[in-house]
Amino acid sequence: MLKRDHQLVLPTQARAPGFRVELRGTTFRLVATGAWTVHEAAKLDTALKRLRVPIPPTPDFTGEMDIAGIAEIDTAGAMLLQRTAAAWEKSGLRTRYAGATESFRILIEEVQRRSRAERPRIEKRGALTSFVEDMLKALTGVWRDAVQLTGFLGEVTAAFLRMLRQPWRFRPTSFVHHLDHTGLRAVPIIALICFLIGAVVMQQGVVQLKPFGAEPFAVNMVAILALREVGILLTAIMVAGRSGSAFTAEIGSMKMREEIDAMRTLGIDPMDTLVLPRILALVVALPLLTFLGDLMGLAGGGVMAFVVLGLDASNYIDKLRDVVDFQHFMAGMIKAPFAAIIIGLVGCLEGLKVEGSAESLGTHVTSAVVKAIFLVIILDALFAMFLSGIGM
Amino acid sequence: MIVENGKEVVIRVRGLAKSFGSHQIWDGLNLDVYRGEILAIVGGSGQGKSVLMRVITGLVKPDTGEVKLFGQSTKSMSPQDRLDIERRWGILFQDGALFSSLTVLQNIQVPMREHLELPQAMMDDLAFLKLSMVGLPPNAAHKFPSELSGGMRKRAGLARALALDPEIVFLDEPTAGLDPIGATDFDHLIRKLQQTLGLTVYMVTHDLDTIFTVCDRVAVLADRKIVRTGSPTELQRHPNHPWIQEYFCGERARAASPGERPRIPANA
Repeated sequence: MLKRDHQLVLPTQARAPGFRVELRGTTFRLVATGAWTVHEAAKLDTALKRLRVPIPPTPDFTGEMDIAGIAEIDTAGAMLLQRTAAAWEKSGLRTRYAGATESFRILIEEVQRRSRAERPRIEKRGALTSFVEDMLKALTGVWRDAVQLTGFLGEVTAAFLRMLRQPWRFRPTSFVHHLDHTGLRAVPIIALICFLIGAVVMQQGVVQLKPFGAEPFAVNMVAILALREVGILLTAIMVAGRSGSAFTAEIGSMKMREEIDAMRTLGIDPMDTLVLPRILALVVALPLLTFLGDLMGLAGGGVMAFVVLGLDASNYIDKLRDVVDFQHFMAGMIKAPFAAIIIGLVGCLEGLKVEGSAESLGTHVTSAVVKAIFLVIILDALFAMFLSGIGM
Repeated sequence: MIVENGKEVVIRVRGLAKSFGSHQIWDGLNLDVYRGEILAIVGGSGQGKSVLMRVITGLVKPDTGEVKLFGQSTKSMSPQDRLDIERRWGILFQDGALFSSLTVLQNIQVPMREHLELPQAMMDDLAFLKLSMVGLPPNAAHKFPSELSGGMRKRAGLARALALDPEIVFLDEPTAGLDPIGATDFDHLIRKLQQTLGLTVYMVTHDLDTIFTVCDRVAVLADRKIVRTGSPTELQRHPNHPWIQEYFCGERARAASPGERPRIPANA
């Protein structure tokens, strides 16, 4: 903001901006007064837009912006003056400024020069076009993801086989670290959740089966559901949320800070050091956690059975023994290592896809969790079809 | 309004002390910033140059001491006064600190949207004007910060700092991370904007080229206070302090000093 006189403190009424247009001889004059600053710009803008552009009756009429009465001006004010002057010029009036101080003149000339720049148009597309485009983008995105994930699976398998031939490539410290983080530290939360879900399913089962007098069968339902589906699904989803996202965040932030490039130049293979230990740790941890989840689900059902059915522990265990086959347990358990591979692959791959910025890290962490959970559920559905096909 | 030697003091800092844990960074720091000057704050790392800027702008609270902005003490300020003062300055953070979810144009319009009620067409006009004034091409307007180079992000950050035509701009290491050509361009830009907009510029910098080409005055932070202020050439001629001696008379300073390169004249 430029002031006409630095030492002068303006009284409030002198700050109020204003203008009037007058015709003196053959000159149309816009006499501006007060503070033409951005704070007053909205008022000035509407008033100036309402102003009719004078039409010169003969070509020798001229225009003048008399700014001697302006006490303060900034770029917004200069821009408004400039806009008006340009409109006057367009209608055939040669327009000049009068009463500008040196600093006002510099600002106004700068604004004049800068206003001429062309502006890029933003392309506005119709709703339908953009809808179709988004759909196609999403579809090709799914295809690209599938290709990338398959490729990555191949890379990891190759790295794993190489490691089997050259066992010194295995990183035990890293493996144990991840086993601790993905396995041991997930125990409390997974135990609690599976226990609660087991209890809830038992309670709901009893309520729903009671009208048929079939409430003892709630135990069958809980036992089979917990072992075949709930144990593995809940555990896998929790691990995808806990560890899959952590893998993406850890590897992604290393990628962001060029640590992974640094590793490559030092002759360290990030596959060996970052990806394999994580996936292997998960392949070991997830079946163990699933086993724990199964047990806790059954325990939760047992507690609820005691509360709503009055079934004590020994009766409950006897009933479980009648209902549960080893194949039910295996049908759940067999999915665990596959789910672990999916979660590990998606987590590491998304991490490696992170680019320079923090936003990129955030979006990849989110998409790692979403994709991992989605794929785990798809896997579960495929297994359900396969296992019923072979009669398990 | 505080007037000293015929010049208005826009920022006055008196008796500032601040410590982080057991580490005391200043003890009794005094500083005056005059209207219309370009002031550079220099000092070794860890002397609290950036923290001083944060104290003046109210982002960090000092332990003791007083900051007066436009003659008003920050201690006795009501929240409304504070808001009014905040509209009168603009800050350029080191990497621009642009909002990553907004385009450059929207970034420049954020202060206008928050503090004023302007019609959209007017805000667009103003934002394009500011964009052009900081030397960015119009096609940068609809880009996101992540699509810009470091130098362009700084310029866009400066455009946002200038959105409301402030009286003071704070620049935190404006030329850090720019190549020499980009840094020289930025120096010229600062000088040019300072003249056209009548700005007071407060900058934290290490860049000797910037100091010698555009700064009117330098304040040196050392020994937990401002040990000296003066024009760059004055400090080079009479350092009177070991750190200033080393800084202004070292190898790099000799290469940057005005004997070797012309100063940008005040009305270039």
